[in-house]
Amino acid sequence: MAVRIVTDSTSDLPPALAQELGVVVVPANVVINDETYRDGVDLTADEFYQHLLSDPRVPTTSQPSMGTFQTAYQEVLEQGDEIVSIHVTGKLSGTVNSAEQAKAGLGDDVPIEVIDSRLASIAMSLVVVAAAELARQSVPYQEVAEQVRRNLSRTTTFFALDTLEYLQKGGRIGKAQAFMGSLLSVKPILTLEDGEVHPLERPRNHRRAMQRLVDLTREKSPAVRLGIIYSTDAQWGDDLRDSLSDLAPAEQIITSRFGPALGVYVGPRAVGVAITAAG
Amino acid sequence: MQVLNGSDLAGALTAGFNCLQRYRDPINALNVYPVPDGDTGTNMLLTMRAGVEKLAQVDGATAGEVAFQMADGTFWEARGNSGVILSQFFKGISTGLEGKEVCAGSDLAQAFRSATDAAYKSVGNPVEGTMLTVIRCVAEALESSLQQGGNDGDVLSMWETAYQASRDALDATPSMLAKLREAGVVDAGGMGIVVILGGGFLHLTGENVEEADLELATAAGQIDPSQLASVSVESDFLDSSIESEWGYCTQFLIQGENLDIERVRAELGEAADSLVIIGDDRFIKVHCHLQDPGIALSYAVGWGELDQIKIDNMSLQNQDWASGHQERNAPKSGIALVAVAPGDGLAQLFTDTSGAVVVSGGQTMNPSVAQLIAAAERSGAEDVILLPNNKNVTRTAVQAAERENETQRLHVVPTATVQQGIAAALAFNSQVPAEQSLQAMEDAVAEVVSVEITRAVRDTTVDGVAVAEGDYMGLLDGDLSVVEDSAEAALMASLDRVDLTDDHIVTIYWGLDTDQEKTEALAGALEENVPGIQVDLVYGGQPHYPYFVSVE
Repeated sequence: MAVRIVTDSTSDLPPALAQELGVVVVPANVVINDETYRDGVDLTADEFYQHLLSDPRVPTTSQPSMGTFQTAYQEVLEQGDEIVSIHVTGKLSGTVNSAEQAKAGLGDDVPIEVIDSRLASIAMSLVVVAAAELARQSVPYQEVAEQVRRNLSRTTTFFALDTLEYLQKGGRIGKAQAFMGSLLSVKPILTLEDGEVHPLERPRNHRRAMQRLVDLTREKSPAVRLGIIYSTDAQWGDDLRDSLSDLAPAEQIITSRFGPALGVYVGPRAVGVAITAAG
Repeated sequence: MQVLNGSDLAGALTAGFNCLQRYRDPINALNVYPVPDGDTGTNMLLTMRAGVEKLAQVDGATAGEVAFQMADGTFWEARGNSGVILSQFFKGISTGLEGKEVCAGSDLAQAFRSATDAAYKSVGNPVEGTMLTVIRCVAEALESSLQQGGNDGDVLSMWETAYQASRDALDATPSMLAKLREAGVVDAGGMGIVVILGGGFLHLTGENVEEADLELATAAGQIDPSQLASVSVESDFLDSSIESEWGYCTQFLIQGENLDIERVRAELGEAADSLVIIGDDRFIKVHCHLQDPGIALSYAVGWGELDQIKIDNMSLQNQDWASGHQERNAPKSGIALVAVAPGDGLAQLFTDTSGAVVVSGGQTMNPSVAQLIAAAERSGAEDVILLPNNKNVTRTAVQAAERENETQRLHVVPTATVQQGIAAALAFNSQVPAEQSLQAMEDAVAEVVSVEITRAVRDTTVDGVAVAEGDYMGLLDGDLSVVEDSAEAALMASLDRVDLTDDHIVTIYWGLDTDQEKTEALAGALEENVPGIQVDLVYGGQPHYPYFVSVE
């Protein structure tokens, strides 16, 4: 009997890492021109961004169904394992609901703990990876869940977008509404606070935005884990990683890419950082 | 001053009227008794206007004649409860000054005594804590002053005594009338009397009535005559007032022969409230409140010809009045910006980047304190940050922020240029506490170098440099730095004074009469001079300044 970690594709957990750690990734759905694709399964990031840049009709997303979760949970439970299921913030997605309903459908005493991370993307990945590493040490799933909650409270994320346009079209702008402004081409820096998108700053160009991401992250150090993410420009991810490489050992730094489900909201030319601070 | 001659008196009354005009809105807002329908100020004003208009026709008249014209004019136009009482007040004044060439201090006391009698008599059931009380207290103060020597016969100091007594009486009105207490206000009609006496006093002491602030207060605080929002009424009172049935305010003139005013008063008094009746055996002016206006009209038509019939639905008036107050009482929340901007493009930029409420203005068109406060009020926010965006407006903004305001806190980031204002607006974050935004905005302002290009309108010397009419001047953070013969040359020369590097962002806001192509050429030249520099072009639409430029 072991503990297995389940997450959803909005964690942007690199597939190789998921496989290595035995993490089950349940795909969200991306709908492009009435065609539904499973995030990361039927649709790669490259295909997705190519489409996003060429077609003005913005894709939409939908949470994994209850059935998808039930199937994933059942496969794990049949092997006699327990589950800690970590998901994208319930303020922006119904994924946690699907997971909870799937759990409820499996009976009263199933060994599943569903957790609303109040985060998304690479920040969620940091917590998922830490949980998977702890799960290998044969501790009860409740204890893993406890550790996950502690790590969530110490994890912060900042991202810089090229434009708020995609966030706005996707209806996920929330408190960043007042941050609109298209006459000056600012690069808004946002964070997730209480599970919602919050505006932080509006640097006037990409270079300054990158510098602010570095500064804001350093303010949260010392770090135990660090995550770097980008949507279309791998070089920007490398630049951020270089600027922050002294904050954590190389094996504790994850670099990934915004997958299609989050790409719908962050759009092209987005970058981000996540940090789990030392407790 | 021993006596007031006719023209002194006419001047004082006219000044009182002007002052009433200034305070009309606050008086309307205070109007809770007998019916909270928000028209006391207007009724008194329109009533008094009819008298003041007649004064303009009598030049060189005696004090007695001036008072007579005032009484006669107001009688015919008297409207509303307060207007009718006001006209009777003037009738009494006129009786007291009848046949007088001039008005001495003792005459003033006598006039107020007969004014008090007339005012009380006109009302079916006199109620204390109203304008009646204010008038009576003035009469009593004048009489007691007269007994103590009459201020040595100085009519001006007698007038001052009257004015002061009216203010004291007004302050006491809530302690006499429960309705006022519940609403947290002083009596509206009483305030009208105070304002008229105050205006007259200012006139007689040679002061300007146009901008007078009599420093009147109600329970909610000081009343700024230009600020209706500074007058507030308790919300419980508003709620209960809306639920009441107020009926119809019914007014008319009966014209007949051998009219018996006392009988009319008694008989109508059985059917109607707030009855005010004035007149003689040939004309009777009636004001009353009742659920069915037809009853009063049917009764009165038996006495003679009816004229000047005016019927108002007071429940509807009350709803308008109460909803106006409720809107102003509504709790405010959040943080907003108010920005002063001198052009349509800049205005749009402030709205677009920060949702700011924009007040148009700048170098040659400074907005007033009242405009800034009104804009802050429009934002509906609890905390408002003002961006003056011009050196000449900073003082005004600071003054606006110093105004006491119960529902809003005003802050100022003293931006001296529009460019600083834009940087501040970008650093503004409505989601963090105001103090945090203020700090970020001030930090952002400190990072901006402002260049302004403008044209000399005449030969002059600025900062020791001779400038000829038509020259283009480049100002660097407000100081003259270059003089050139074209706006573009002045801009490039000014930017030569700044050590531009590829780290800088240069934003050019081009003006109302500036050619966009010329602006684009400037950007090209800058990018060539400093490879890698970011140059943003934005339409500003400002007059007089071909270019505003920020370097940050």
